[in-house]
Amino acid sequence: MTGSAELQRFLAHAVELEEEAMTRYQELAEALRAHNNLMVAEFFESMAEEAAKHLAEVREAATDDALPRLAPWEFDWPAEAPESASYEAVHYRMDLRQALELALANERSAGAFYAEFAAATDDEATARLAASYADEEAEHARRLQERLNELPPTSPSQFEDDDPAHSPE
Amino acid sequence: MNAPLKPKDYKSGIKPIWCPGCGHYSVLNAVAKAMAALELSRDDTVLVSGIGCSSRLPAYTDSYGFHGVHGRGLAVAQGLKVARPDLTVITLGGDGDGFSIGGNHFLHACRRNVDITYIVMDNEVYGMTKGQASPTTPIDWDSSKLTPHGPGVRPFKPAAVALATGAPWIARGYSGNPNQIARLLSEAIQHKGFSFLHVLSQCITYCPEQTDWKAIVHEREAEPLTDASEAAALFFAESGFETGLLYHQPRAPWPPQHEQQPASLDDIAERLRV
Repeated sequence: MTGSAELQRFLAHAVELEEEAMTRYQELAEALRAHNNLMVAEFFESMAEEAAKHLAEVREAATDDALPRLAPWEFDWPAEAPESASYEAVHYRMDLRQALELALANERSAGAFYAEFAAATDDEATARLAASYADEEAEHARRLQERLNELPPTSPSQFEDDDPAHSPE
Repeated sequence: MNAPLKPKDYKSGIKPIWCPGCGHYSVLNAVAKAMAALELSRDDTVLVSGIGCSSRLPAYTDSYGFHGVHGRGLAVAQGLKVARPDLTVITLGGDGDGFSIGGNHFLHACRRNVDITYIVMDNEVYGMTKGQASPTTPIDWDSSKLTPHGPGVRPFKPAAVALATGAPWIARGYSGNPNQIARLLSEAIQHKGFSFLHVLSQCITYCPEQTDWKAIVHEREAEPLTDASEAAALFFAESGFETGLLYHQPRAPWPPQHEQQPASLDDIAERLRV
């Protein structure tokens, strides 16, 4: 693959990764807001804004029409884009600590993807850009970890619901 | 030339009201991704559903949709496809809607083989009515107060029943892997005939134990089976957690193509002359 083609392929992955992260956080925020878990909804909204900023930065490095058009299953990740929060990892009664832990795992996963891309490519420009994105994700992770350190542990009764969802009959 | 539509363009402005953690979000994303990948026209695609949490999905997409009667999505979808073969018709629903209330339609849709795609989002529970046992609930699931010792009935085997009644294309996906569902769905839509996509779609509100599926579900590595006897052996023996295209044996869709032209009014008048 030529240097330029490799760079375009990398940027196609970066756009998809950041766009999926942004969309997923927006989706989770809307779902949590609908279930009146406002603290977690606001946190996911802030994560969506972060992802949107990173997406804008990635888009600046690439013009959409120059990127290879890949089907969702043709990207170099086994299931989902690495920064997308798993659906089953959220719950209507989750607390802020659990939301932060989820986001932290996503940042680390995205960072690992960029770092691996940087290490695997022979193209110098691609490696440089991928490594810089990996550093940004590491910085996001560091900030999340700092916030996490300030939070109390999750209560053992966090998922107990005074009005449980199950049918009372 | 217009730029190709993106997955988000296939979603409507209506926001889902599913529980956080529900697998159906993943299926919605997969539907939008598959539609974008195939560049389907929103004006020529129809999503038809029955009733239940999963059956709300057509409202969340920006194409034509019909949120129908409980268990009757397949009946509506087949009628539509036969009347308008130019349309892409996708039917969606849950395990209760498809295998219990609409079970008879499922059998005959597999048998009839109209060129539509049927997605069942199986979470092994009736979620919309607050968590009762469904046809696919494990025999010993005792989390519902209506069945405190478990339903005591062996769960329905969707792939085996689909095979026995003639479905020519049978696949299974998992909501933890929406890109795989999108790939399977795009293949299903392109298949000429009835395609059945069974999706394991967790309900973490009523069945929190389904978060364990992530560790159990795995992609089947072998090629899809083409021999019905071998597929039957697989479907009766398997755990139900293998994903991918499992069986594919194409056959001519219904209705058959007849060369005979419809009779003219004059011909009919002649035939009815006394």
